[in-house]
Amino acid sequence: MLDALATKLEHYMDLLGKRQQLVSANVANADTPGYRTKDIDFQFEFMSLLEGGTPNVIESPGLPVKNDGNNVVIERESRLLAENALRFSLASNLLRGEIRSVRSAIQEGR
Amino acid sequence: MSFSISSIGPSSAIQAPQLDSGSKKAGGFNAILQDAMGKVGEFNTTASKSVESFLSGEGDDLHKTIMATQRADLAMELFLQVRNKVVQAYQEVMRMQV
Amino acid sequence: MSLLSALSVSASGLSAQRSRAELLVENLANAETTRTPEGGPYRRKDAIFTSAPQSSPFSAEFQREMGAYSNGVEVAEIFEDTREPEKRFLPGHPDADASGYVAFPRINPAEDMVDLIAASRGYHANVSAMSAIKDMIQKSIDLLR
Repeated sequence: MLDALATKLEHYMDLLGKRQQLVSANVANADTPGYRTKDIDFQFEFMSLLEGGTPNVIESPGLPVKNDGNNVVIERESRLLAENALRFSLASNLLRGEIRSVRSAIQEGR
Repeated sequence: MSFSISSIGPSSAIQAPQLDSGSKKAGGFNAILQDAMGKVGEFNTTASKSVESFLSGEGDDLHKTIMATQRADLAMELFLQVRNKVVQAYQEVMRMQV
Repeated sequence: MSLLSALSVSASGLSAQRSRAELLVENLANAETTRTPEGGPYRRKDAIFTSAPQSSPFSAEFQREMGAYSNGVEVAEIFEDTREPEKRFLPGHPDADASGYVAFPRINPAEDMVDLIAASRGYHANVSAMSAIKDMIQKSIDLLR
């Protein structure tokens, strides 16, 4: 039921959700000494299409480290917060459209 | 689509009329419906499990659970429509003047 | 569930930043306090943050497995300044010692004000995160419409 596109959209939303969780953790730990920014390699995880697996959590490279060992850049996290939320919203709308289309098609047969 | 009139017996409304031998579908509509019913059952089981796991807090993301229930819903709707069509067709055939 | 657990993570951030702000406000209020019930001048307090997994009342085992995903923040301890207090020469002061020196807290109000602003910014960032997560969860629920 529902085609491959719907499955891809679902997987996309899944990864975005996990990424957003990490952003939340980064924001909560923005002032924790020694804390390193966490992320997932989004492109890689999406292309490898591993359904139901847990994406690898990596340390985000190239971020400046403060004196206390913390490397959270709040501007970056804010940007990701907005971006992930928007992408999730788009995917959700597309998916909802898919569901409606299929339902329409089924009911047209009446 | 053509029916061999003589092959339609006094069966219950659920059982679909058999196609004539020209159409090659094994067991005709009956088998198709049985198969679809099985698939619907599968979707329903997956959805139920997903909802249970959400309720117990152990589950995966919420949208996965919701998608599972939507898939089950759509599968059920499709199945019902197909069954309705089949029953309609059967009834039409039954109404035909010989 | 995983997205819902992010709410606990953000909540921990709110808690921690608020504790930090409270301590800073206490410091600012007591910048000139020369006597305390414990004896001696007020000592500057600071919150030491540490990352810690957050559990939610809805799930137990699962959160522990998720590892990095559910790391919020906690105040590990409240650190009191151990440095020698600042001594100012005020012979007439009721708390002056034999040589006329009064012990004052080592607090730089400007520093603590800046830290307070940072704590406030941190608090707001966690509010934004929580809001974004809540919206995403709502979008998931909207799939049912």
